[in-house]
Amino acid sequence: MVRTRLFVTLVAVTVVLALLGSCAPKEPQVYKIGFFSPTTGPAAADGTSALHAAQLAVKFINEAGGVRGKKLELIHYDDAAKPDQAVSVVRKLIEQDKVIAVISGSYSGATRAAASVCQEAGVVMLSAYAIHPDITKTGDKIFRVGTLGTVEGKVGGALVVDKLGAKRIAILTIDNDFGRALTEGFKSYLQGKDVEIVFEEKYPLGETEFKAILQRIKDANPDVLFASAYYSEAANLVRQAKEIGLKAQIVGQEGYDSPKFLELAGDAAEGVIIVTDLNRDDPREIVQKFLAEYQKEYGIPADMVGASAFDAVQILAWAIEKGGPTTEGIVKALKELKNFDKAVTGPILYYTPGREAVRPVGAQIVKGGAFHYFAHFDDPALITPPQ
Amino acid sequence: MSSFLQILASGLVLGCIYILLAIGLTMVYGILQILHIAHAAVYTIGAAVGLGVFNLTGNFWLSLPVAMVAGGITGVLIYLGVYRKILDAPRIVPLITSIGLFMVAQDLLQKKWLLGPYMHAFPAQVGLPALRTPYLNLTSNEVLILTLTFLLLLAVYLIMNRTKIGLGWRASAQDRDMAAALGVNINQVIALNFLIGSILAAAAGVLVGVYYNKVFATMGDVPSYKAFVIIVLGGLGNIPGTILAGFILALAETFLVATVGFVLPRDAIAFLVLILVLMFRPKGLLGGS
Repeated sequence: MVRTRLFVTLVAVTVVLALLGSCAPKEPQVYKIGFFSPTTGPAAADGTSALHAAQLAVKFINEAGGVRGKKLELIHYDDAAKPDQAVSVVRKLIEQDKVIAVISGSYSGATRAAASVCQEAGVVMLSAYAIHPDITKTGDKIFRVGTLGTVEGKVGGALVVDKLGAKRIAILTIDNDFGRALTEGFKSYLQGKDVEIVFEEKYPLGETEFKAILQRIKDANPDVLFASAYYSEAANLVRQAKEIGLKAQIVGQEGYDSPKFLELAGDAAEGVIIVTDLNRDDPREIVQKFLAEYQKEYGIPADMVGASAFDAVQILAWAIEKGGPTTEGIVKALKELKNFDKAVTGPILYYTPGREAVRPVGAQIVKGGAFHYFAHFDDPALITPPQ
Repeated sequence: MSSFLQILASGLVLGCIYILLAIGLTMVYGILQILHIAHAAVYTIGAAVGLGVFNLTGNFWLSLPVAMVAGGITGVLIYLGVYRKILDAPRIVPLITSIGLFMVAQDLLQKKWLLGPYMHAFPAQVGLPALRTPYLNLTSNEVLILTLTFLLLLAVYLIMNRTKIGLGWRASAQDRDMAAALGVNINQVIALNFLIGSILAAAAGVLVGVYYNKVFATMGDVPSYKAFVIIVLGGLGNIPGTILAGFILALAETFLVATVGFVLPRDAIAFLVLILVLMFRPKGLLGGS
């Protein structure tokens, strides 16, 4: 008898609370921004870096007064870099948390999947660093902050052919969206140039043993090895290349841009050049402040992934300030963006009709166990994404 | 010629790692008929303990034995705490339990205060000489793996064939009840079984951690099923078979990648080899008698 009464009371209380909860929403005191990134699984280091940097950006913005007088709130879910998980967390962000916009701090595969959900729901999504071309092709609400993969690859080509003067080139591609986009761009630059591709192969994500394939690359005697990888494969690759005595210059891309790469590769990383957007030697205040604060707050150096997520929050906040907290307002503001200089990864010049950011691309070299400035590319012919 | 020798050496090194991992698995199957998937957790725990001790002391030659002991103890505890209670249950029970144990162990290791979701460097300077000849180069770590595996396998051989308890193991593997009836202390034999197998797995974990310079919570994922492939290939419960299978698989993977490239993910090669061999020798290479 007591149990029945207790049960009925509990049910009644629950119903009342639920009704209260679903009352007509008041004017929001904060602007909610959705953010998803992998904080578990093999991509956890990158995803956590992205999350931390995004949280730092929100902190900076709120300390400076917020957006339109209101504070920003970042709502984060882990997608483990898995497309199916990304889809479900983005749905949650849109339907349950009712965020104004979504930022992807995840890899290309997951971002592509999430983009469809956002486009369908009419919510703006910014891809912080995922590079695959199809992401923005999903629809008119999807914008990219980081450098498009094919542009990054093309810049890699300019780096290898023009700056390094290589004639014999080996290409090793990680067999996924990321790697394929980079290699496509890279090869497109090599067309018609006086160079020879002496070796080209793909390898699966997660591979740990490169000695056999590096031996074949060594036998082909290239000047440069353009190898796409994430920090885990990259670390094994450069270590084993050093062990077998490969003399070719190794050129990587943003996948190498992580303190974890430097830690795992040890002194084998010395001299590796990567195409990336974070210039640690950039004298601008926003960059040095970001690098210093990130190191102070989280104890490890920031990387490109983090810098891109930081910039995505900055850009979104700017767009909300300019256009208002609605999808239409944000889209309109982004279309009108010109020379946005508050980005750590360099200025965003403007957005193409295809919603790709046109921006200079950099290269860094590992010297003394840290990344430093190596080169800068801003030739419009090079950095403008195809329309 | 030098290319061939180099590839052969790479394959043998990889084979050593596979063997150290798989022997424990086949030993447990041989005596208990349990597929001890949690063995891969012992491997990871060995690597984690090794890394921890190395970070504290900077001494590789201290971290290796400590990790091996920790692994051995973990293995024995798994037997005493889990498997012993379910020895008489239908075979699926220990299998599911083992899988569950493995998953719990991995999840625990991923906690921030243990290994977390990151990879950690294991930059141990082993101090062994590297081999530099015109035809063949071996790094210090590769020399370590080859010699340590040889020594450990020799030790296992001596224990199995020259000691009373080894005799007891071989008898129990043939017929557990009969051996018990003849006075073999089955519990002791089984505990030894887990001890030896787990020590080897922990050693494998440390060696792999140093060789690839990374230790991480999910490093047992691929070994958990690859070791299984190897023991089936070699004949379940058959130690020489496992050794043979480990080398064959490693060499197959290495030569395929070296000649043709990554036409298949490396792990698919393992299963293909398994299917091929089982088609012609259903009990494995040396299985059955």
